[in-house]
Amino acid sequence: MNAPAAELAPASAAPAKKVLVLGLGNDILGDDAVGLNIAREIRKRLSASDPMEVRETCEMGLSLLDDIVGFEELVLLDAVQTGRAPPGFVHEFEGAELRVLPSGSPHFLGVGEVLALGRRLGLSVPQRVKIFAVEVQDPFTVTTSMTAPLRQAFPAIVEHIWCATRQLL
Amino acid sequence: MNPATQQTWNQANLKANATYQAERRRVTVEPITRLEGHGKIDIFLDDAGDVERAYLQIPELRGFEVFSLGRPAEEMPQITSRICGVCPTAHHMAATKALDDLYQVEPPPAARKIRELVYNTFVLEDHALHVYILGGPDFIVGPQAPPEKRNILGVIEKVGVEVGKRVISMRRRLRELIAYFGGKVIHPVLGLPGGVSKGLKPEDLPQFKELAKDGLDFALFTLQVFEDLVLKNPDYVKLITGDTYTHRTYYMGLVDAQNKVNFYDGLIRVVDATGKEYAKFPARRYRDFIAEHVEPWSYVKFCFLKPIGWHGFEEGPQSSVYAVAPLARLNVAEGMATPQAQKAYEEFFNTLGGKPVHHTLANHWARVVEMIYAAERMVELVNDPEITNTNLRVIPSAKPSVGVGVVEAPRGTLYHHFETDDRGLITKANLIVATQNNAARIAMSVDKAARGLIKKGQVSEGLLNMVEMAFRAYDPCFGCATHSLPGHLPLSVSIYNRERHLLRQLVQS
Repeated sequence: MNAPAAELAPASAAPAKKVLVLGLGNDILGDDAVGLNIAREIRKRLSASDPMEVRETCEMGLSLLDDIVGFEELVLLDAVQTGRAPPGFVHEFEGAELRVLPSGSPHFLGVGEVLALGRRLGLSVPQRVKIFAVEVQDPFTVTTSMTAPLRQAFPAIVEHIWCATRQLL
Repeated sequence: MNPATQQTWNQANLKANATYQAERRRVTVEPITRLEGHGKIDIFLDDAGDVERAYLQIPELRGFEVFSLGRPAEEMPQITSRICGVCPTAHHMAATKALDDLYQVEPPPAARKIRELVYNTFVLEDHALHVYILGGPDFIVGPQAPPEKRNILGVIEKVGVEVGKRVISMRRRLRELIAYFGGKVIHPVLGLPGGVSKGLKPEDLPQFKELAKDGLDFALFTLQVFEDLVLKNPDYVKLITGDTYTHRTYYMGLVDAQNKVNFYDGLIRVVDATGKEYAKFPARRYRDFIAEHVEPWSYVKFCFLKPIGWHGFEEGPQSSVYAVAPLARLNVAEGMATPQAQKAYEEFFNTLGGKPVHHTLANHWARVVEMIYAAERMVELVNDPEITNTNLRVIPSAKPSVGVGVVEAPRGTLYHHFETDDRGLITKANLIVATQNNAARIAMSVDKAARGLIKKGQVSEGLLNMVEMAFRAYDPCFGCATHSLPGHLPLSVSIYNRERHLLRQLVQS
């Protein structure tokens, strides 16, 4: 309980960085970890003074609010299974394309909803959001390794996302 | 619908059916007929265009046991809590209790109380999230409200921005308490066989006392919100008690020595559809009472009461289907162990016509009653002089072999069962999660809702929403699966004719 108890401030101290790169996923569910793995690779390339911060989270929904408050820009790295692209394909969504209210399911709190809620409650949530969603093959098997096609595509995915993310600065 | 999708489906279906015909003695069906999806519902119509059967598909985790084999049992509270991004604390606690059982060791009183404090805090936080945010659009905003209002912003509009801030702030503070003991909420490191890894420092106690008191105020406030917005609205009460969402089944939940609701420990009690006790047993005996039924169309194993045997997705005295979760817990108990929760419990049953209550949508109200209990229990625990005691661990000395742990997860009874060799390395691991316990009844609810809304091939408007409400009351855990889609969780309904040809797909949009 080191944060001021009754406040809405994020759990950590107010971030000085401009861009948050947030990896989402579950690190023991095979391909579901791809977002976390990319985040780790990107972190390795940053110097301490970089205006970009990298975080990883296994949580979702409302919990994302804890991480994103205070940043100007948000980059999300996640796994997706659309079945309409080969494993390793990187889908890209910009903020405006997000299924923001009311078109999303009214009950699952997605990124668009979390941002909308944050704004409604007067919190300083990122103004811009970009999502990189990597098409995966198997996010349901409990294992710490990704499937072969994803492992193979991984270096290229990291490079692609790294370049795209640096353009945001 | 996209003609290509329709064509692909129909071709694949022909192929799968041919394979199935060829190997009909096999229990499993080719993957194409087990459509994976996130809350995907398949509805099959008969010749007359009425519903023959509706199926809800829930993706299932694979490979958990294989992943666990050979690992030290002490890792299980960490591994199992990582499986699910929704209720890590429940898995952590069930696994920790399984380790107590495995090593035949009883934690000292302070350790037990700390576990219970953390656990009740977690239940309060998780229930609040459901009441306001997940279930809120159904009840706080209302099922008849226009679609653009049926979301979290609609909830905020109805209850006010200040209440919204209060919910978010309370949730944060409750999570900070969990983090104080367990480190990260998502990967807690609190539970050890025979105790806990961290105690409560006396100098930190005042802030926990304040939090528990505020938590109780918040829970009572939530009951008031629920009463004002839901119970004073006759349409809602009619909806809750309507036949569409009602099933007469068995109920299962943990109770303490006085048969009061307990989330952390006790005996598992089962009551029948008249409320009479059918069974009461310790976690170790769960296999005598619970068996799993497999259907060719689903990955989910449907739990049923083993002594009765599987008689299909039916209700009534011959059926072995049971439910878990808040409503079930209130039904199996003879009351709540704390005064304000007891008052709310009595009001619940008085309003809904006595025990047991069979209306699935009453889960939302039962959840509020449980929030009060969780908060009152927090208040009791932080005011217990023993809570700051530094005796936190009994070191295990027994040779391990089998351990079973049970807790009431917010979504219902959760069993962890581990077996090890002499060195404590896992040789067998089995979990029965809440949604599995509820799976048969959830399937019945979805089926019943679909039957009421599709007649002679005509699909009523609002089908998606009404069907969705049927299963959302259980708060089924899609857990990790929801990770795989940024931004939204689509519900899709596919309707097929007698020949299993896809006629129509409805997707929430």
